[in-house]
Amino acid sequence: MKLSNIVRLYRVRLRTRLVQELFAVLGIAVGVALLFASQVASTSLDGSVRQITTGIVGQMRFQLVARAPEGFDQRLLGDVVRLPGVRNAIPVLEERVNMVGHRGAATVDLLGTDPRFAGLGGPLVRSFAYARLAELSALAVPAPIAQAVGVSSLRPVQLQIGAHVQTALVGTTLSAGDIGALVDSPIAVGPLRYIQHLTGMSGRLTSIFVDCRPGADALVLAGLTRLAAGSLNVRPADFDATLFSQAAGPTNQSTLLFATISALVGFLFAFNAMLLTVPQRRNLVEDLRLDGFSAWMIVRFLLFDALVLGVIASLAGLLLGDVLSLGLFDANPGYLSLGFPVGSQRIVTWQSVAIAVGGGMAAACIGVLAPLKREISSPLAIAFTTPPRIKGRRVWAFAIGLACLLATTAILFAAPRAAIAGIVSLIAALLLLLPATLAGVLAAFDRLRRAFSGVSPYLAVIELRSNANSARALAIAATGAIAVFGSVAIEGAHRNLQQGLDHLVHQLNAPADLWVIPPGAQNLLATTPFHTISTSAIARVSGVTAVEPLRASLLDYESRRVWVLAPPDGAPDPIPPSQLVSGNLATAAARLHAGGWAVISQALASEHHLRIGQSFQLPSPRIGTFRVAALITNLGWPPGAVILGSADYARAWRSGNPSAYYVRLAPGTATAQARLAVQRALARQSGLGVETSAQRERRQRSASRQGLQRLTEISSLVLIAAVMAMAAAMGSMILQRRRHLADMKVDGFRRGELWRALLLESALLLGTGCSLGAGFGIYGQLLLSHALATVTGFPVVFSADASTALSSFLIVTAVAVAIVAIPGHLAARVRPAISLQD
Amino acid sequence: MLDVREVVKHYPVGDGEPVLAIDRVSLTVAPGELVALYGPSGSGKTTLLMLIAALLRPDSGAVFIDGRDVSRLSDREGARYRLVELGFVRQSLTLIPGASVLDNASLKLMGMDLSAGEAHRRVMPLIERLGLGARLGHSSEQLSMGERQRVMVARALSTDPKLLLADEPTGNLDSTRGDEVLSLLAEICRERRAAVLLVTHDPRAAMHADRVHTLRDGRLVEHRPDQMAASAGAE
Repeated sequence: MKLSNIVRLYRVRLRTRLVQELFAVLGIAVGVALLFASQVASTSLDGSVRQITTGIVGQMRFQLVARAPEGFDQRLLGDVVRLPGVRNAIPVLEERVNMVGHRGAATVDLLGTDPRFAGLGGPLVRSFAYARLAELSALAVPAPIAQAVGVSSLRPVQLQIGAHVQTALVGTTLSAGDIGALVDSPIAVGPLRYIQHLTGMSGRLTSIFVDCRPGADALVLAGLTRLAAGSLNVRPADFDATLFSQAAGPTNQSTLLFATISALVGFLFAFNAMLLTVPQRRNLVEDLRLDGFSAWMIVRFLLFDALVLGVIASLAGLLLGDVLSLGLFDANPGYLSLGFPVGSQRIVTWQSVAIAVGGGMAAACIGVLAPLKREISSPLAIAFTTPPRIKGRRVWAFAIGLACLLATTAILFAAPRAAIAGIVSLIAALLLLLPATLAGVLAAFDRLRRAFSGVSPYLAVIELRSNANSARALAIAATGAIAVFGSVAIEGAHRNLQQGLDHLVHQLNAPADLWVIPPGAQNLLATTPFHTISTSAIARVSGVTAVEPLRASLLDYESRRVWVLAPPDGAPDPIPPSQLVSGNLATAAARLHAGGWAVISQALASEHHLRIGQSFQLPSPRIGTFRVAALITNLGWPPGAVILGSADYARAWRSGNPSAYYVRLAPGTATAQARLAVQRALARQSGLGVETSAQRERRQRSASRQGLQRLTEISSLVLIAAVMAMAAAMGSMILQRRRHLADMKVDGFRRGELWRALLLESALLLGTGCSLGAGFGIYGQLLLSHALATVTGFPVVFSADASTALSSFLIVTAVAVAIVAIPGHLAARVRPAISLQD
Repeated sequence: MLDVREVVKHYPVGDGEPVLAIDRVSLTVAPGELVALYGPSGSGKTTLLMLIAALLRPDSGAVFIDGRDVSRLSDREGARYRLVELGFVRQSLTLIPGASVLDNASLKLMGMDLSAGEAHRRVMPLIERLGLGARLGHSSEQLSMGERQRVMVARALSTDPKLLLADEPTGNLDSTRGDEVLSLLAEICRERRAAVLLVTHDPRAAMHADRVHTLRDGRLVEHRPDQMAASAGAE
């Protein structure tokens, strides 16, 4: 058949099913939107860090990078330039600082480089040429950051750098025209000398980026490794992006998993809507086949339906997804910005668009073709005359569903790393066990209703058992099941993780009553070292019993940026007790104190095949060899953590600089007053702030919640979509049955009886689907929590929370039945005369 | 034209013995001839039609159209045969919802890769002849049962088929409308020299038939048309 004819017939058929098609468009669009928004969120996170790297280094190949914030001597640049095969080398000093203006504060990456190399680097470095900063001792700041903080060109700005506050000059603000998408990055750029002056690191660099002559990569790499001499790292130039991908992995995976569940609900929404048009399409297929249209001609005919549906729904989905990615998915997981310069740019790649549109098109094709598979492919004499063998199929589905459930259980206990596969097999089990469960519920209800008088329960059971309604009924129940499953699993795992993080935060902060620490959002993990100060003034404050240094920093350990911390020797619990995964707490604490031992995250130990007692080398500024004293969680930092003894840390970092002071108070001392007194005692070192452990705990909880908030929002969205889908599908199914209801009225059934039958039918269907979904959701919660704990090492509190399951089940079922009551009431009012009309 | 030779067809029934639906049936229909096939429910009428339409394969025997055996066609060849050489008027009056009389009647021609305009042009005389000229733009929902049946007839005849199969074409119509449809069908087919096999319960159909057969328990018996017409008059 010519395409023009297919288009013509599509157009005329559309008139009679516009509403159903719009439902289908809406359903697919919701799925596409969630998939697209989550993809954009992931690529934006990874891409923003990659953009900064590229912005500095352009097409450079390698970097020689310091292992500690103190950096290395800049005279090394000369040695690098003289290496055979090196074409260019760019010196960089990088420090994370807090920029404070009259409107607020923001954490930025302060970047210094030599303007003489401006032409060699990426767009950020080239901005020197535009900004004429080379001759000035001033900073260039992206316009959005400048606006947020409240600074402008040729005006001063305060920089909180470690324990010091410096006043810097903003030379210019950079627009998108100057640096493109980097305009949304949290950065400030300045001439190297000026940045060295501001940070107090004259003559120091933190990295050198190197470009090679063609074919000289290996030669340069060997030369750089020799110069590094085991105390610097040699990495690919864009290695920060690799480190970030590893750190953001759990966030991206969880967002993708939840978005996939949401997309599945969206697809079922669309599938429900398309099932409404199946009787029409079935008649059409029968007619076409009898009239001699081949299966391929019919498939082309139907694929055109799917194509139009898919294209319109995908476009609508992309638009909706764009809105979602600006609103719901825009918040960066706050904790990641503690270790990486995560910008606010939205990066939309063609892959994100392709995945979302591909998903939408696939959903449309499956939705249109799948319900008619038998009618298209079976011999004509069988397809339209023999009813499908539902019971046989149900038994098979039940058997395969049980097998999937067993596979999930095997994954839970034996291979928790395959959590995604576990969730997929769990969803498959849920969908496959649903038909048998529904049949079982109907059989039980049928027995039960015999004990009562009234015809409504009888009618409800008959309708739900009829072949004509079975596919649609199953699709509606499946929508509720998947939505409640997703919501319970997501929200439950979220709650378990949040409880684990809350315990952790409390135990990390509890050893000190007051914290003396460089302020700023970037320093939530206390990883900004500062020069040792005299603590005698603090020690003299009334009620203070001890002032001890905490040493901590972030260290690049192969592909992970790990958090290394060394609590004071006198700390009562150097290892947060609830975070111990393997080993003995007292023994491990004693070993840390003795020196030469380290407590490390389980994920790190697994990656390096380490067990307790085995030794490993930590790539600290001075490589240290440690033995594993115990295994812990990742302490809430995705790449993992290492706890050292205080003296070991100072030796390995070649520095005794603290990154915070624990201040302990005598029992009964008023904490708030003590905090003010300590702050006054610090007056001469005004760069440092003082926080109570409760204040610090609140800040850390808020940061962890910020990252997890997105999950709650997604799960709410899933429930709303599901309620809409089920109510719309159920309502349409009921309204399509008006003729049948009129027949029943002719047979003497009363309006009230019919309405009650419709409500019972809805409640049975939705209740069965949602309760099965809730049960499986609890299993999914366990699976996800187990995966989070074993794969990423997050501190998770294991609990199967039935309250979330119960509330999701009740909300979805009750709201959907309440909505369905309206079309049910209208349908039950149908005039009996309709039964007798043509 | 149509030559059904010694056709046998069994149907499997559960785990038991297969049921014999058609038992060594032979039947010929010449071009321009209208043969009516009577029989009670379950006598095998529809099975015979499906065998002739290449929707079922006989267990033995063969069905020839102009000397070509259509009982062994592949699915694809069978579809092509139904599209081009066969017209099939069904009892069910399911037209494409929302589509006009013109589009519904032209459907088979569009399936033969003709443009909509060309298909409409070709089917127009037939539509006029069937008395639907004033209803061209009406959608199927706006038509009466008799009009829908005439649209089905127009679609079946649109490709100028050699053979027309009609399965209870008057089943949904009252006697007046049924007579109208049958008269038109017989008249047009004789003009076009198309062979017609009409399966029906309606004794009045015999008045339009050249020959009448009865199918009982899968076996074919021939009657004189005037006998059937007489029984129709008696009713």
